[in-house]
Amino acid sequence: MVTSALAPALSLRALTKRFGDTLAVDRVDLDIPAGSFYGVVGPNGAGKTTTLSMATGLLQPDAGTVHVLGVDLWAAPEVAKPMLGVLPDGLHTFDRLTGAELISYAARLRGLDRETTRRRRDDLLAALDLEGAGRTLVMDYSAGMTKKIGLACALVHAPRVLVLDEPFEAVDPVSAGAIRRILTSFVESGGTVVMSSHVMALVERLCDRVAVVGAGRILADGSVMEVRGGADLEQRFVELVGDVREHRDLTWLRQS
Amino acid sequence: MVATVLGIRLRTALHLMRRDWWRAVLIGFGVLWALVFIPSLLWIQSALARQPADVRADAAVVIAVIAGLGWVLVPLLVSGLDDTLDPARFRSVGADARRIMPGLTAAALLTLPVLYFALAFGLIGFSWRPDGSAAVLVALLGMGLTLVGLVFGARVAALWGTRVLASRRAKAATAAAMLLGLGALVPLAYLLFSQGLSTVLETDFDLLLSQLALTPLGAGAAAPLAAADGDWWGAGWRLALQALWAVVLHAAWRANVARSLVVPLARGGGSRRRDDQVLDARPGFAVPADGPAAAVHARLRRAWLSDPRYLASLAGVLLLPSAFFVLVVPVFDLDPRWSYAVALLLAATVGWGRHNDVAFDSTALWLDVVSGRLGRAVMRGRISATAAWALPVVIAVALATLVWTRSWQDAPGLIGAAVGVLGVSLGVAAVSSVLVPYRAPAPGQNPFGAETGTVGAGFVAQLASSAVAIGLLPLVVIPFVLSLTVSPLWGWLACALGIAIGVGAYVGGVRLGGIVYDRRSGRLLAAVA
Repeated sequence: MVTSALAPALSLRALTKRFGDTLAVDRVDLDIPAGSFYGVVGPNGAGKTTTLSMATGLLQPDAGTVHVLGVDLWAAPEVAKPMLGVLPDGLHTFDRLTGAELISYAARLRGLDRETTRRRRDDLLAALDLEGAGRTLVMDYSAGMTKKIGLACALVHAPRVLVLDEPFEAVDPVSAGAIRRILTSFVESGGTVVMSSHVMALVERLCDRVAVVGAGRILADGSVMEVRGGADLEQRFVELVGDVREHRDLTWLRQS
Repeated sequence: MVATVLGIRLRTALHLMRRDWWRAVLIGFGVLWALVFIPSLLWIQSALARQPADVRADAAVVIAVIAGLGWVLVPLLVSGLDDTLDPARFRSVGADARRIMPGLTAAALLTLPVLYFALAFGLIGFSWRPDGSAAVLVALLGMGLTLVGLVFGARVAALWGTRVLASRRAKAATAAAMLLGLGALVPLAYLLFSQGLSTVLETDFDLLLSQLALTPLGAGAAAPLAAADGDWWGAGWRLALQALWAVVLHAAWRANVARSLVVPLARGGGSRRRDDQVLDARPGFAVPADGPAAAVHARLRRAWLSDPRYLASLAGVLLLPSAFFVLVVPVFDLDPRWSYAVALLLAATVGWGRHNDVAFDSTALWLDVVSGRLGRAVMRGRISATAAWALPVVIAVALATLVWTRSWQDAPGLIGAAVGVLGVSLGVAAVSSVLVPYRAPAPGQNPFGAETGTVGAGFVAQLASSAVAIGLLPLVVIPFVLSLTVSPLWGWLACALGIAIGVGAYVGGVRLGGIVYDRRSGRLLAAVA
């Protein structure tokens, strides 16, 4: 199977997932252009993680298709998955390995030879400021360090499309700067980043395109400018997904 | 607070049953199973009531001691202690041990197993009717206090076990537990093999029971005998000892709860490793040649050496074979060649124990899933990490039993059958762990814990994998049995067949497991999460 240069980095068609009575993702259609820095935003429980899990082979959809650069992910995972680098949110890691071992593990699973693995492992540990922690077990890492080591695992095989669920969550500002530089440079070199986040300012700053997800559907998508429609992204987001139903005043919480 | 804690427990169970209807069905089956045994309990009660008082007391002590061992060991060996009320879950609400202990105590005492044991112990208590109502009252009190001790003891054992396995000394603690367990069996084995069952029962067993009746293990059960003899001081101090034991265990449980509320389970303790054992793994037996499978093998090798959940499995595998050798062979005065079953049981236990292997990765298996279509490599790496230590251990045990029987002509058949059983059981485990995985304690969680109801789901998977293994094992065991009963020439056939079928089932199981892994990769995460 040959990937198409013109094909979207990720193309979702009628993607659907139901958990019991809950329709988590409702016939989602979305094209993410190759070479874009794409933000996926939405309120808690909107279906972002479920959508990204289906788009990366972690969760079987009930219906619909996922294409990675023109390759059907669920029909030909052996072709599509090597093009993807994935950082999920809220899942465990093999935490009895050291940080260095975890990167090596990801690299070896991706079929990299020993010398390439060694070189890239050391590069990634240095770039993500984890050199000192490389020999420590991941179980002793902070949340931010775990996120960074997960990102290193997603990058080690030099994928063409990066799908990152909340990559900046719990990461300190210095490390966040390093991650931003790595991702921006990746996109400049032709790669695609798909990133979910709750931080609108970050999405506005980094992404050129954005999709707003709500109740398992795409409520708006396009360039950040288009979706914003003259307002700031947070304002537009609240308009699209709706504000909290009641601004109740918690008088009992007041200190005086 | 008692009502709140009990409410949390009931509400959790109800929510889970509403979400998964089959949990209610499994609990229903459990209750039905328990009810079926009630006529047997009534029969035991009337049979005991017809016995002389000293025989009745001895029987009660034996029942109390066996129940005690069961209450402590079962939750440690079979992952499944309900962790709904794991004290660590109360950390974030800021409640101290003093406030939550009454609720935890009530919740621990109001479970179906406790209620069932209360019924059984109560019936045993009523078997003292012939000795008057005072003896019955003492018996009910004694058995009641014994049961309370069992419940508290199980909680203390699970919390201590968890703490030890999560510490940096987990490896040494596992080895010590195995050695202690075996060490405790050696004197018993010596007595049984040297004196025979009847002598042991007449002399040593009587002595053992009389000593146990002086300890918290059997004092409560033996108290009515003293009451029946009019020895009220003897009955009183035994009841007091049993009550004191329950208080001590409760205090130990409370101390553990208090610690759990403020001290998280020890993690890696900041330990550092110099070498990258995934990239530059030390050479070893059964290490796959290709990169992905070798990486998985290296990861699982680390798990077998340091993960509390794997160490707990490791500590448990020797129990059944050792018990068979030490208890069954001498008690039934079996031909020494029955000791060959030890190696076969060990091989089957090791293989069967991996029937839910994939679930031990919990959600961390996302990394394997997103890395490509790697089912075969993943399963080859996983199962070979078990085979790497299990095959040498099983062969060593087989050789040890041959040294014991001095029947070296049985060696080819035994080695072949042992390899065959290990290969078949690991092959079946490779498929079942992908086909019917169920939730296991996640990394860093209580290795003895399980969400309410997963015991039932595990039971279904265990039953299915056992059925398949039992269907296949005669292929490798029968030729070996023929070599012992018909002609030693069958031994060489048993050797060839055992190795061929064992290797075939291992390779076939791993391949099939890999294919199923790839087909189900999009559902595996949800199944084990």
